[in-house]
Amino acid sequence: MNKPLETAKKALGMMMAKGADSASAACSLSETNELNVDTGVFSLMRTTLDASLSLILIKNHRRGVVAVNDLSEEAIAKAVEDCLQAAENSPPDEAWALSDIKQEKSFTRGGPADLDKLYQRTRDMVDEIARDYPKVVINQLVVEHRQSRSAYVSSADIQYLSESGLYGLGMSFLAREGEVSSSFSGVDLICDNLDKPFLEADGFRQALKEAQMQIHTVPGKGKLEGSIVFTPSCLGDMLGSILGNFVSDSSLLEETSLWKDKLNQQVADPRLTVSSLPRHPDIVIGQNFTGEGFLAEDYDIIKDGVLRQFMLSLYAANKTGHKRAPNSSPSLVVAPGEDSLKDMIAGIQKGLLVGRFSGGQPGPNGEFSGVAKNAFLIEDGKIGAAVSETMISGNLAKMLNQVRGISKETIRDGSSVLPWLAVDGITISGN
Amino acid sequence: MLQDIISKHRGSFAAGASTELRVQRNLQRRVSLQKGNMVGNVRADISGVSARVYQNGLYGFASAAEISDAAVKKALEKATYNAAFLDSRVKLQKGPLPGIQQGTRPADADMTDVPQKTYIDFLQAVDAHIAKTYPDLISRMVGASADSMEKVIATSDGYNAHIIAPRSYIYVFLTAQAKDGSPVELFRAFGGRGTFDTVFTNPESLHAGIAKLHEQLMHKKEGVYAQAGQKDCILGGEMAGMLAHEAVGHTVEADLVLSGSVALTKMDKQVASPLVNMTDFAHTALGETAPLPVYVDDEGTLAQDAVLIENGILKGYMVNREMGARLNRAPQGNARAWSFSDEPLIRMRNTAVLPGTSKLEDMIAAIDDGYYLINSMNGQADMTGEFMFGISMGYEIKKGKLGKALLDTTVSGVAFDMLKTVDMVSDRVSWSSSGFCGKKQPMPVGMGGPELKCRITIGGR
Repeated sequence: MNKPLETAKKALGMMMAKGADSASAACSLSETNELNVDTGVFSLMRTTLDASLSLILIKNHRRGVVAVNDLSEEAIAKAVEDCLQAAENSPPDEAWALSDIKQEKSFTRGGPADLDKLYQRTRDMVDEIARDYPKVVINQLVVEHRQSRSAYVSSADIQYLSESGLYGLGMSFLAREGEVSSSFSGVDLICDNLDKPFLEADGFRQALKEAQMQIHTVPGKGKLEGSIVFTPSCLGDMLGSILGNFVSDSSLLEETSLWKDKLNQQVADPRLTVSSLPRHPDIVIGQNFTGEGFLAEDYDIIKDGVLRQFMLSLYAANKTGHKRAPNSSPSLVVAPGEDSLKDMIAGIQKGLLVGRFSGGQPGPNGEFSGVAKNAFLIEDGKIGAAVSETMISGNLAKMLNQVRGISKETIRDGSSVLPWLAVDGITISGN
Repeated sequence: MLQDIISKHRGSFAAGASTELRVQRNLQRRVSLQKGNMVGNVRADISGVSARVYQNGLYGFASAAEISDAAVKKALEKATYNAAFLDSRVKLQKGPLPGIQQGTRPADADMTDVPQKTYIDFLQAVDAHIAKTYPDLISRMVGASADSMEKVIATSDGYNAHIIAPRSYIYVFLTAQAKDGSPVELFRAFGGRGTFDTVFTNPESLHAGIAKLHEQLMHKKEGVYAQAGQKDCILGGEMAGMLAHEAVGHTVEADLVLSGSVALTKMDKQVASPLVNMTDFAHTALGETAPLPVYVDDEGTLAQDAVLIENGILKGYMVNREMGARLNRAPQGNARAWSFSDEPLIRMRNTAVLPGTSKLEDMIAAIDDGYYLINSMNGQADMTGEFMFGISMGYEIKKGKLGKALLDTTVSGVAFDMLKTVDMVSDRVSWSSSGFCGKKQPMPVGMGGPELKCRITIGGR
């Protein structure tokens, strides 16, 4: 018996019997095994058996959503009743809808856990860091394998089944010498096998090496307008703010997006292409189908600097009159450029290489200011000292039109594929 | 009854190990209206059982999304197996944890649920008021949010406890258009400890707070950019709370101390002005129940206040049982878990700078050229104590008087340097408790403080 499928079908049947016009049920069972290293020492092994049942019910254009993890008959019946009550007490809105395209499809990725090998890969990584990067202190390293089996069914005769077994790693660390330490650094990875040692993942050794170089810093001085090279990880964060402010459901529904009238217009440098590609071979944790029942497909958000698609749900698309996005995952891929990172830096007179932006959440006008963390000075085309107490500020929308270069090197962490991006005209200020 | 499920398994805890068994339910309710559109209407009920076993210096943990005798038995067995799996490979060979006080704490309330209609009706009334009263806004978003946690904890060598912790909030975001056409936004959370129907009895009770928020937004849309550089500033009470939590609190959590935070070598040293006192309150703060009280933590430790800074001198770390032993400090109830499937981590509870004796108006009058920074949208700090707060509301201070409002900006500094510049501390404390602290797991926390006059680096444009 496929318990997720049987459970989802049962819940769907109960919702339809309650008079739903349309409904969906998604059920999953998972087992996660996790190893923790805290303050450089193995500390915990954790096994979690979890379940989830997510229901969407639409009746008379009113929608309710319920999520539970108790799959007993009694709990499912209560969840269906709660969902109905939530819907019936909400105001009607004709924009609520689910996919009506009949589909039946199965997906698989990865496989069962090899916990001995997971332990050994983790042990090797901890030992190699101690050997090769002796000043680095691991604050927390969490590695896991998550095995899950899921089913999605809807009233439009849609049925998706998926099985996955993926490994994940997240590590925060710093480097320390005497009483002086660097800022936090971090690396993340999602993969579907343990063929490669963790330390050989894209960017891991570089991040550890740079942490050791960031122990001793010089404070920023004065104020100037310079160039910033964002590392792939930092670029991912900046893109998150850009997309959230300018192309998301809330920014379009609230009409606060600076790009609300810019579809098919140039919003960025022509070299910049930003896509959401859940089917990309290097995106391990992409998306198979959306919560609204659509098969997930790849698409470009910005193509050659032109805004091609808002990241809208079906609901927001119906409200705004724009097209729905073909998936609802980030799965961000920025097309690589033609310059090597080294050449990109060589062309910069004055600026910073920034590994992390610690700033206020930029408002809808796109203005940002914050501290440049894990950052190095760039002077006369060369990487200089690590800096502290240095702020950068600018505007997210304008920044995309001040692109200086995009590296041909990229970092693939399993959830995104991103290059280094250099921009001009950013205010850099110190004490 | 959750207690019945757990009580019969106390006898099966493994000898020679420290064991915690927890049965837990988390209820989350969310309703949100974006410009009047109900974009969120969600109920989530998450429950299950977990066990954690400490043996020879290593933890094994297991959980199941099911509350039954079979699930409890399986979680205990698997947690024991996991501790042995690690022990057979890592071989730390440490002894048992130091003992802690034993006892029982029953629940002081019932776990109650509120129908979704209550959230929806209340929120629609608040939204309708804003739409009618403030036509000059270009956008608005209101959200109702409640989370309740019920835990029954049984431990082999500490307290057994039944904990019920509900909290409820209304979030209001208002957006206006600045002169240059760009959108300007402000946000405020209303609410606190308790179920939604007890915290919010009448939508009109929010009107004054929303009017104040709108007034500040109107000031902000005419606002100016702050001049970048080091300035004399007054941090508002909620900002002082964020400083206490982000820039000091995290650096004195034992897991971060042992990783090499700036606090590692600062114990009993001057880290702040003698005017600065800071405490992580357990359940009672300044003579009242703290915003989010903790009486027993998830390791079974009876909760007590953790004094962090006394007269400017670093006096304490926050520890769990295991790291307390490593640092030779008694645990004070800081080990908490968010969901049934989460292991307890070292977390803050109600972290605050203590009030002083100054009056806010005297503090403003004492500044010739600076800023009064009232609210923050977010804050971050790292283990060096370097921090950043986004400022969403503030005013210039010119010649001892408040001036124009500020557009969004950022302040930054190094906590133990900046705190030494504090030369006035106000006599009142503002608390906030609507957010989550993120550290592997989310966790509700309270934070608060008085206004602080200090020198701080402010970002400009």
